[in-house]
Amino acid sequence: MSRPDFSTSGKRPDLRAADMALLGAAAVALALAIASAAGAWSDLRRATADLTAARREAADAAGRARSLEGRRGPDAALSSRAFLTAEAPPPRVMADLESVLPGDVRLVTLTLDYGERLNLVMQLSARHAASYDQFLQQLQQSPLFADVRPGEEVRDGGVRAQVQATYRVGR
Amino acid sequence: MPRLSRARTGGYNDCRVRPFRGELTVAFDASGVSGAVVSRGLRRPRLRSFERAPLAPGALSPHPLEVNLHRPEEVSEALRLVLQGLDAGAGRVSLILPDGVARIGLVEAPAGVGPEEYARFRWAQGLPYPAAEAIVDVLPLGAGRAVAAAVRRAVALEYEAVAGRAGLSPGRVDLAPLAALSALFRDAPAEPAAVDVILGDAAYCLAVSYGGALRVLRNRRRDPDAGEADRLGREVDRTAAFAGDGTSAVRVRVVGPGARHLIGEMLRSGRAAAPGWEMEGGRLPVEAAELAWLGAVLG
Repeated sequence: MSRPDFSTSGKRPDLRAADMALLGAAAVALALAIASAAGAWSDLRRATADLTAARREAADAAGRARSLEGRRGPDAALSSRAFLTAEAPPPRVMADLESVLPGDVRLVTLTLDYGERLNLVMQLSARHAASYDQFLQQLQQSPLFADVRPGEEVRDGGVRAQVQATYRVGR
Repeated sequence: MPRLSRARTGGYNDCRVRPFRGELTVAFDASGVSGAVVSRGLRRPRLRSFERAPLAPGALSPHPLEVNLHRPEEVSEALRLVLQGLDAGAGRVSLILPDGVARIGLVEAPAGVGPEEYARFRWAQGLPYPAAEAIVDVLPLGAGRAVAAAVRRAVALEYEAVAGRAGLSPGRVDLAPLAALSALFRDAPAEPAAVDVILGDAAYCLAVSYGGALRVLRNRRRDPDAGEADRLGREVDRTAAFAGDGTSAVRVRVVGPGARHLIGEMLRSGRAAAPGWEMEGGRLPVEAAELAWLGAVLG
């Protein structure tokens, strides 16, 4: 039973059953929305945590990959040495080296270092400085050799010098 | 007879922890100002505290047209004492105006017309003041029937102003007889025929119902002298003739100031009468039936 109201400020509307039902429905909807928002918030926090963990794992994996790439293991070095030994045996290297030696330049010693790369250390003796210079030029221009680094030189009419280079396999 | 509940006194929650101060109701009448704080929980409402301050004769005279508060400072002081005793604090309050300030009647609106609208239409020419000054509202009874009442705006404003001066924010304004009727109808008697006598200091209502439906509503001003109880008893007898077929037993319920005295007089004269409601515990300074509005506040 609605109660009368004789206030001078005007009657306040009574809450009817339909109003109460709508109010109840709104309260239920609000509760559901809050529960849904709480679930979404929880999902967001879980996804954020997963993303952070995945990024951390990716960073760790990248670090490990970089470490592995920078640190070749003994197996890799061994296989590379076996490959170079097969593909660039000393007779072949000698033959290729002779192809760039001018006539008055003599190879005194040759050291072959089979590792990840095939490094050559040569002791040379040239009768004329110009011949030695020609040898360096041909060695640098040859596709068979790289990283040519002239070493100590003694010029006493002729030239005695040390040269380091790298032999290129498969050219 | 409904039994009203009141709060257990002395409980820790009542004395120390008051997270909810309850609803404050202030009722005015010629003999005094009453206040009640009611708490509403999951169970039925409970009377938390009650206070009453008497008024000297003539300070407040309920009247539908003229000034009601002849000595407003005395009414304000009584209200201040009531609020002090209640420890209610300032806030929104429901005001209950006394019987005698309103025109009250039973209306039966045609189909499709609201009772409030119909009462305003019917009474527009009959009110002794401009219709624009009337605040009309109804106590709906169902099927287009309602108890309608019209209060002059200036009269309602007097009571709201005295509450405002006491630091209260007047909310709903009700009438004591309508509040009593709402509570009495909610607790219909077992007998088919009933007469409810709702007393005020200045006026009273007689409501005749049969089979739970209100048939007649009469509103009279009181004439409080030595023979009033006898006159009231005979008025109840005459009114009871409207109830039922004249052969059924008529249940007479009485509420409002002077209810106990009237019931005693009627019982002594061989008539049957009972209080409209009672309260267990007996901690009220007056009997529950002496407060016509209490049943509605605790309903």
